[in-house]
Amino acid sequence: MQKILLMYACLFLGLAGVASKSGASETSFLDEIKDIQEKFDSRTVEKVRPVTRETVLAKDQYNGRPFRVLTRKNEINRFKCSNCHTDKAVTVNQGVELTHGSISLNHGREEQALSCIDCHHPEERDYLWDKKGEKIDFNHSYQLCGQCHFRQKRDWLGGAHGKRVANWAGERVIYNCASCHDPHSPRFKKRYPATYSPPLDR
Amino acid sequence: MKSDNSSDKNGCSCTIGTAGSDRRSFLKGLSIAAAAGSAALATGCVPSVEAAAPEKMKLRWQEFFKDNYRLMTQEEKEATIARLERLAKLQDNLDIQMSSEPPIERVLYGYAFNISRCEGFMECVSACVRENNLDRKTNTQYIRIFEMEPGKLDPSTGDGRYYHKVPVENKFYMGTQCFHCENAPCTKACPIKATWMEPDGIVVVDYDWCIGCRYCQAACPYYGRRFNWGKPEIPKDEITTRQHYLGNRIRPKGKMEKCTFCIQRTRVGRLPACVEACPTGSRVFGNLLDPESEIRFVLKHKKVFRMKEELGTEPKFWYFID
Amino acid sequence: MRAVQERNLKTFFIDVIRWNLQGSYGFRIFRVILLIFMGLGVYAYSFQARYGLEVTGMNDIVSWGFYISNFTFLVGVAAAAVMLILPAYVFHDPDFHRVVIIGEGVAVGALIMCLTFILVDLGGPLQAWHLIPVIGIFNFPSSILAWDVLVLNGYLLLNALVPAYILYSHYRGRKADERKYRPFVFLSIFWAFSIHMVTAFLYQGLPARPFWNNPLLGPRFLASAFAAGPALITLVLAVIHSSTSYKIDRSVFNKLRLIIVISAIINLIMLFSEIFKEFYFPTHHSSSAVYLFFGMDGHTSLVPWIWTSVCVNLLATLVLAFNPGKNNPKVLLPACLFLFVAIWMEKGIGLIVPGLIPSPLGEVVDYLPTWVELFVTLGIFALGITVVTWLIRAALIIEQSYNPNAS
Repeated sequence: MQKILLMYACLFLGLAGVASKSGASETSFLDEIKDIQEKFDSRTVEKVRPVTRETVLAKDQYNGRPFRVLTRKNEINRFKCSNCHTDKAVTVNQGVELTHGSISLNHGREEQALSCIDCHHPEERDYLWDKKGEKIDFNHSYQLCGQCHFRQKRDWLGGAHGKRVANWAGERVIYNCASCHDPHSPRFKKRYPATYSPPLDR
Repeated sequence: MKSDNSSDKNGCSCTIGTAGSDRRSFLKGLSIAAAAGSAALATGCVPSVEAAAPEKMKLRWQEFFKDNYRLMTQEEKEATIARLERLAKLQDNLDIQMSSEPPIERVLYGYAFNISRCEGFMECVSACVRENNLDRKTNTQYIRIFEMEPGKLDPSTGDGRYYHKVPVENKFYMGTQCFHCENAPCTKACPIKATWMEPDGIVVVDYDWCIGCRYCQAACPYYGRRFNWGKPEIPKDEITTRQHYLGNRIRPKGKMEKCTFCIQRTRVGRLPACVEACPTGSRVFGNLLDPESEIRFVLKHKKVFRMKEELGTEPKFWYFID
Repeated sequence: MRAVQERNLKTFFIDVIRWNLQGSYGFRIFRVILLIFMGLGVYAYSFQARYGLEVTGMNDIVSWGFYISNFTFLVGVAAAAVMLILPAYVFHDPDFHRVVIIGEGVAVGALIMCLTFILVDLGGPLQAWHLIPVIGIFNFPSSILAWDVLVLNGYLLLNALVPAYILYSHYRGRKADERKYRPFVFLSIFWAFSIHMVTAFLYQGLPARPFWNNPLLGPRFLASAFAAGPALITLVLAVIHSSTSYKIDRSVFNKLRLIIVISAIINLIMLFSEIFKEFYFPTHHSSSAVYLFFGMDGHTSLVPWIWTSVCVNLLATLVLAFNPGKNNPKVLLPACLFLFVAIWMEKGIGLIVPGLIPSPLGEVVDYLPTWVELFVTLGIFALGITVVTWLIRAALIIEQSYNPNAS
């Protein structure tokens, strides 16, 4: 009988030893990560294929680190606007429907709905403008959007809003605002999901 | 032995007559079992005996005896990859490029999911299925998206099987997948160390080492793992041919698999398929050891939480709200 | 029976085989039926080997099903041999000494069934060599499954080799040297408790499954094992007593009844404790118990199962405890059978499947074993019964012809 008890005591001590090695500790790996001071330059990742789409260096920086943004002008069908919009008024019959008919303006809620010239410079149609009257290039439209949507812009600079283009490493290239949001009707449309999850029993 | 017509008390009847019928019944039973056994072997245990080209059998034989990936030398890794590429060509006439890309130094991958931004479009699910060569027949999906009622964060209160126009008013959407825990219960449970955490933080499975006991699947608190109950079926034109040994190569039946943070993409600096596919930018991915990365920005400036944090698994997948 | 002087190890094996191929007409029919079931099991397994586990009813949520349920239950039956060994060797009860070898035979049969159930449940059984240390990787001591492999195989060796040594000595007409095997017997007493606790720890150690992750699972396993195992052994002894010339004293049955009653009552107390914890203040962690006892989201397939099991368990325990009929075998033997079946229901499907439902993300599915699982299970049970029959038959023949005074 004593032998059985002795064997149990040994097993218990052994298991206690094993158990003390593993198990949840008080410190998290996050604390160790936050202590790391050295910078990691993701451009050192060798096998990254650089983004081939057209980009432009952003005029804002995040924490002193520059980044590039996808250009917008090559996405617009009829840029330059000044081809039609010169000093004189445009006198094409039903010109609005022919050229801008596909645009439905639905930006802002009822009382604060935006009109065209809230963003488009009325004299220089190749540019946008902000409420201070500054001219803003189409490729740098974030400067305009960020006027009102400053929280999203702050997040976008840091990476919590928007997305990098294709790579997590290498030079930072991110989508500009209009890449995802149609500036005239920015809300995502309701649609069916791309797929569905079938019942899990057969 | 003296023949005795009556069986003695031990039940040991020694007459020649009964001994003969005993032998007959034994042989009859044995032949039933043998026939069934050889049928089993022919149909099941030795796969596709019909087209047994000698090269294929040799490759399969070598593959059977290879070591755990973690213990292989670089030459052995390259050899097994060459064998797997050749087998894919021989068996299915597929040209694949498999890689054994090692982890990038000083990288620990982290992931964040914005539950204010997700609109439930499930583009991520669809992209993941295509990128990772998931079985179409059983509709295996690493990623699950739940339509949630505001006020409740537990996915058990959400609906994971919706199919209607999204987003629905007053609902939010939350996605789950393998969270690549730092203190993963699944890697601890595996009896043969077929699953482990790589130095860059990705929890991987060596599909050829796995014995399919599914203990890791029982241990995972997040429904992160999937099992190949049958042979995966993928239409040939949809197969992603850029594969990684530990990632999206086509798995044999009877093996465990899971999200690998698209190891075949992330180790060459690309974003995982889910992050790249998301139309609303709800997914953030990056290097936790880089203080300037997007993921670190999220962790620093946003209210982040993790699922079932009280279990102490330390997932590297955070949820946040704008 | 050959003369004692002619016997050696080779004749030992030949005689064991020969004894089991002979026998009465009824015995032969019994053997053929078992062979047929084993053949059916192999046939069903061939489907599984070819198509994979998709031919079973398991899926990503219920990833363990009928096979693991039976494995869990049978480890308990194997551990219950200790309830014969303990009185025989520690308390030196002479009546139990006579039946110890039968208990060990049942244990070996149950263990072989357990190992076979694990083997058929694997998705990649050909890779099972990866478990062997040195040539594979053995994740000891982190993985409880690795522990389980060790303890089960160790227990199999203990329960096979010690009786084999004793039987072989008796076969040669010699007295077995107790000093040689006594330490191993004591080791097997301790080991029996361990195999079932380790098997319980397989489930108990998973924080992902709140239905299992409670400290009572291990002790509950022991209690139910020591109720169901001796119940089975009682039935086996009754069969032996009635169909062979190896007679077993009434006192053995009475003492076994006592063991069964105490264990079954403890089992019911533990069941009550679990029910209280789950239902006094139900949390999200109780959803598995809610699914099991009351159904969830319209999925109620296990509700009649568990309620039948609990009621039959209670009834059988009461019958065995209060003993109406005063040790009448016609009352006690059916009670043992019902207790065994009830505990099989509750500890098999009634434990494994609800632990996995709902999924960790809260999704509820139903589980039903397919014909493949049922036939493979039948085949494995037939295999186990065959092993037990072979071992016990040989053991009884040797024991009956062994004369301790003649050596």
